[in-house]
Amino acid sequence: MLCERCKIREANIRYTEVVGGVATEHNLCSHCAKEIDFGQYTGLASLFDSEYPIGKILSQLLGLGDGREKEQAEEMASLVCPTCKTTYGDFVNNSQFGCPDCYHMFDLLISDKLKQLHGSDTHTGKRPAGFCQGEEEDVLEKPLSDIEQIGILRSKLKEAVEEEDYEAAAGYRDAIHALEGKLAEGRDER
Amino acid sequence: MTRWFEETDQMYDVFVLNRLRLVRNVEGHVFPSRLSHEERSEMLAFLEEKVLPLMAEDGQPYAYCHLNELDADHRNALYERRVINHSRVEDKEPAGLALSPDEAVSLVLNGEDHLRLQLLSSSQSLENLWPVLSELDDEVGERVSYAFDQKYGYLTSFLTNVGTGLRASVVVHLPMLSHGSQFRKLIQEYSRFGISIKGLAGDSNENYGGLYEVKNQKTLGQTEEELIGLVSQAAGQLAAQERKVKSLALRSHHLQLEDEVYKSYGVLKYARKLSYKEGMTYLSQLRLGLCENLIKLERPVNLFGLMLHIRPANLRLNRAEDLEGDALDEARAQYIRQNLPRLG
Ligand SMILES: [Zn+2]
Ligand SMILES: [Zn+2]
Repeated sequence: MLCERCKIREANIRYTEVVGGVATEHNLCSHCAKEIDFGQYTGLASLFDSEYPIGKILSQLLGLGDGREKEQAEEMASLVCPTCKTTYGDFVNNSQFGCPDCYHMFDLLISDKLKQLHGSDTHTGKRPAGFCQGEEEDVLEKPLSDIEQIGILRSKLKEAVEEEDYEAAAGYRDAIHALEGKLAEGRDER
Repeated sequence: MTRWFEETDQMYDVFVLNRLRLVRNVEGHVFPSRLSHEERSEMLAFLEEKVLPLMAEDGQPYAYCHLNELDADHRNALYERRVINHSRVEDKEPAGLALSPDEAVSLVLNGEDHLRLQLLSSSQSLENLWPVLSELDDEVGERVSYAFDQKYGYLTSFLTNVGTGLRASVVVHLPMLSHGSQFRKLIQEYSRFGISIKGLAGDSNENYGGLYEVKNQKTLGQTEEELIGLVSQAAGQLAAQERKVKSLALRSHHLQLEDEVYKSYGVLKYARKLSYKEGMTYLSQLRLGLCENLIKLERPVNLFGLMLHIRPANLRLNRAEDLEGDALDEARAQYIRQNLPRLG
């Protein structure tokens, strides 16, 4: 579907506007979505948050599904950890992860769950002796694995979407796709 | 060697047992639940090679066994004595257990997580136990590289353990407080602060023996010291409440309480068969009487230890007999008669 505003680019953001109790659906491209000042519309910005939880918007940005929720949920559930083959669906069913890499792989999807369980998603306790404090030092000492990079890119993508910087988000999405492609190729070779 | 639950100093108090456990995993290795049988055997061999030499250095002779090679009664008995958790009773996949002679220190290899380190003590506070466990954790961490993430902390098989991987718990004896009408509400209130309080023995409807375990629900976002402080504080508050209710009850119903304690002693000393529930109930009454000096015994006895010994699997192992039903209840009554000192 084409963006209803520019009618040039593909629409990848959908939101519902409610005016006087009547809901209207809008389809925009990420570029136009960025242009729109939601503040101009009565209650639209807050509606955008509540009607479209970040996961749903993200799954659209990630190219998962065409907006139909069931399909999206299925695609989410089939996200698979390349190291241990745990799918997100497995995790939801057993509430158990299969390996340390799962935490990077399903990074975005567990943040809310962690906050619900622990009231926080960030460790503040002890660290293994010799664990590097700074992220930059880490990078210098040891290059990040593809999975770690995907994890970082995903959180950047989430941040970009939260800040409604859809161009940056699209960039992150492409980078994630590229890395995922590379991982898949590596697996095929093996 | 006396085991931690058989020691007889400092035990007639509200505090019964302090416990700390950490779960850890090894970087670059898939968690045990996701491994095939062969891979799991290999993982166990890897962990044994890395970690067991450390236990040999500890000065006390650790016992080591493969949990999957023990029969159901032996696994159940370890579970009843709080050495392993329930998932280790059911799971038949390769897993190891290193256990100190007093059973206070245990290390489970290749359980739900690669490593589970635990300390139990009836005399040391959680605050005193933590540096000991943390040091053991550091020593193990020198031999294997832990799966640790800058943001999420120690990575665990279950999200409920991620971060610190720490569970801190205190078992308190609340025979009076738990009978109060407000007790359920009190428990719910604590859960709002990340504290879970559960009956130690019994079923979902009923608690046997007035023992409750107070533990942290959350493992992420707070430091180990903060989590331990929270559990200690909650246990301390419950203990203070229990003492208050006890002293009130002693003033208003002294004769009734004294009578219940002596009757309980009588049943324990002379009954010919006792169910687990009966045993727990009367031992709890007797414990209350000893705490409040309502009754005196010839020599000190660890009643919590007795409560552990009369659980089904431990009783069967002690008698080396496959007892069920009435025969088990008869053995239980006999065990208590033999181990309960005379009146002093
Ligand atoms: Zn557009
Ligand atoms: Zn995984």
